[in-house]
Amino acid sequence: MQPFDRFTLMQFLWAALSILGFSIRVNLKGSKILLLALGGGLSWAFYLIFLYYSDSLLYSIFGASILVCAYSEIVARAVKVPVSVFVTCVIIPLVPGSSLYYAMQAYIAGNHAAASVHIYKALLISGTIAMAIAVVSSVTNIIYRLFNRF
Amino acid sequence: MTRLNIKEATELTLEIGRILLQSGATANRVELMMHKVCTSFGYPHTESYVTPTGIFLSVSDNRDQITTSIKRIENRRIDLGKITRISHMVHDVEKEFCKGGICSLNAEQFKAKLQQIENEKPYPNWLTILCGGLTSGCFCLLFGGSWAEFGVAYAVGVLVSLSLRFLGKLQINNFLMHILGAALVVSFAKLLDLVVPGIKLDNIIIGGIMLLVPGLAFVNAIRDTMSGDLVSGTARAVEALFLAVGIAAGSGVMLKLWALWGF
Repeated sequence: MQPFDRFTLMQFLWAALSILGFSIRVNLKGSKILLLALGGGLSWAFYLIFLYYSDSLLYSIFGASILVCAYSEIVARAVKVPVSVFVTCVIIPLVPGSSLYYAMQAYIAGNHAAASVHIYKALLISGTIAMAIAVVSSVTNIIYRLFNRF
Repeated sequence: MTRLNIKEATELTLEIGRILLQSGATANRVELMMHKVCTSFGYPHTESYVTPTGIFLSVSDNRDQITTSIKRIENRRIDLGKITRISHMVHDVEKEFCKGGICSLNAEQFKAKLQQIENEKPYPNWLTILCGGLTSGCFCLLFGGSWAEFGVAYAVGVLVSLSLRFLGKLQINNFLMHILGAALVVSFAKLLDLVVPGIKLDNIIIGGIMLLVPGLAFVNAIRDTMSGDLVSGTARAVEALFLAVGIAAGSGVMLKLWALWGF
């Protein structure tokens, strides 16, 4: 798989479409839902690209979350939407729903070793996303304060 | 040109806080917004304490009067659009309507404005239901599904959104709703599997589950903890954890039941 081939583009489109659907479900209106969809697509595309170059799951999740959180801090301020609204929507593709499902499936099948692996993965991914969000929001706070001071 | 008295200011501020918290804003944001509004109304000495299930607000005019109110928050429902509109309104209050405690609108007019935001028409039901299908279908493709699986996931998403809407009318609690939702995802997927040949259920069920995953509670938990609101941070983290466990339990029990039945 190449990082910028048709596959990545299609995945980008699907992620963007699913976030479009999600933002309509939570009742957001206007042209900003297109920006949200773009952010959702970008988060998944960044993840795929990072995964291609680094071959490390957590590093890719961390990098993609950092980039997409920075994107949403900037864009949310530009279109005057609360930042938390933006971050919530664009981070959704990275949320480990599939690990949760596979863990549960392995437990049902009685395969405790595989289940523990998946649960561990889900916890690590959530922790990584949490770290990325925390880093970006703290850094933005500092930058904001510096700008207000000078 | 009027000056709101302390009771009206408290009432309006609590109302703003209630709408924000019910639609899923972080504690820090609610406190900030309420403080902004009170300052614009001319009561800068305001203290507030917000948890996910209640608001404490104490407004003082710095002379002899102090009013403290508590608001219990029930039936929270995610509505990010409302948060955005309230934020815009607070911004307007700060910049336009109120200058140094003197407001160009009276309390009734502010209340009417809030009422207007509260009653603003959401998207029509059919559109949100179709979008539920779009979300689950696209997540199915994202995790490696085929086009046939996309179709099935779309149908599952639509059916689940429909039944969640119906369950929401029954006013059952959030936790039970997620268990039932996950169980329904699995049942609908299994039922459609009987009709449509040659599909794998894994991606379809994951697509359906992504509709229910508590992403907002999770992000809010992190942001609350980072801004120092430890109580609401931990409360929301536990909420997210419980919902995730509920989803796993619901779908797991249903999968096992179908497996016992012989599918």
